[in-house]
Amino acid sequence: RANVLIIVLTEMRDKLRKWREDNHRNSEQIVDVGEELINEHASKLGDDIWIIYEQVMIAALDCSRDDLAWTCLQELKRQFPGSQRVKRLAGMRLEALEKYEDASKQYDSILQDDPTNTAARKRKISILKAQGKSAEAIRELNEYLEQFVGDQEAWHELSELYINEHDYGKAAFCLEELMMTNPHNHLYCEQYAEVKYTQGGLENLELSRKYFAQALKLNNRNMRALFGLYMSASHIAASPKVNATVKKANVKYATWATNQINRAYQVSYARCLL
Amino acid sequence: MYNRNVSPSAKKSQPKLEWRSEHTSKEKKKDSHSIPILCVDCIPLFHGTLALAPMLEVALTLIDTWCKENKYVIAGYYQANERTKDFRPNQVAEKVGARIAENFSEAAMIMVDSTRFTMGCYEPILAIYDHHENKWKCRDCNVDSFEDWCEAQKITSALLEGRSYESLIDFDNHLDDLRNDWTNPEINKSVLHLC
Repeated sequence: RANVLIIVLTEMRDKLRKWREDNHRNSEQIVDVGEELINEHASKLGDDIWIIYEQVMIAALDCSRDDLAWTCLQELKRQFPGSQRVKRLAGMRLEALEKYEDASKQYDSILQDDPTNTAARKRKISILKAQGKSAEAIRELNEYLEQFVGDQEAWHELSELYINEHDYGKAAFCLEELMMTNPHNHLYCEQYAEVKYTQGGLENLELSRKYFAQALKLNNRNMRALFGLYMSASHIAASPKVNATVKKANVKYATWATNQINRAYQVSYARCLL
Repeated sequence: MYNRNVSPSAKKSQPKLEWRSEHTSKEKKKDSHSIPILCVDCIPLFHGTLALAPMLEVALTLIDTWCKENKYVIAGYYQANERTKDFRPNQVAEKVGARIAENFSEAAMIMVDSTRFTMGCYEPILAIYDHHENKWKCRDCNVDSFEDWCEAQKITSALLEGRSYESLIDFDNHLDDLRNDWTNPEINKSVLHLC
């Protein structure tokens, strides 16, 4: 029986680790697994327990489980008194309770001790986002990026903020930064293509087609890129502003894309039957 | 981003139901305009950025084709915003709604009010907008817009308790893996079972 228990524990622990590594935000499942692990088997987890407390706490906040979040926080406070990382978690709990002023003060106190603490600065920007203060969030994030120009997560967040404000030009700029530093990342290519497509106009459509194609070159299973290639080529071919050569070429691209899309569906249906 | 004040994740905050759709609703075509429009199903679209055009166009095209094959028409669009307190239609909702209204004049635009969401679903939390003279006008919430609210409430609540949203497939999921079926046959079966 003891062996069965160990196997179950190992499985639960592995699940949590995999979710951490993959950055999964499946909070309900994390709470399900993590709560049981913490309540029943804390002693058997060794030093893993602390990172599990952190993971479960954040998941608990997502699920409005303040009771569980509080428990995790107390354990972490006791083990790591004065830790900035734990202070940040305390701030996140205040955010979850919509006590934004208190949360902001918490982050300010972290920044007083450590002005380069990027996590605290990003939490302050998240508060602005949660409050719907998009313009301010954008402004703060731009200031942050002047200092921390290599922070990819921040550039991506900024591109999303701009997209939500329909400021596609500035979103494109952020994605250009990301593509420059990550030339092999097919997702950035594909998102850039989507932004260009949305901006509209023949030039942007042609650019979008090129970047959809580039994304496909980097990852030939990116369906968004494949669909995007089809859509952009089709629109260009249908435009009254293009000459016959360009039209012919884009019809060719669109046809190629259609065939690839059909093949992809056939393959997936075949896989379904397996 | 998660709507953390709601127990299930925002993307899957409600299971598909007759009168509750995540992004489009389709309905059986009625010949006469005097018969009220009945929405019979819905297709969840996206759970990320909504303000980009290409994938939305793809989705609407594929769904439109599927509708025609099944003698349905896209009759509306619904949206649940990322922030709980944000329940007003935004530019995206109005644009998509208008696009659908071009093909179906009586298209409805539906906004979900997450602040009133509960697992028990005791009251409807939708604001239904109709397109009049290029503007979206909110319907009187005292008017019953549901075929059978009591049934709907029971079924939705049961689906939520059973966490059916964990298996909900939207168009984003489909683009990630083509095997994911955005018509959600399993959930539709569950709905029928609970009737």
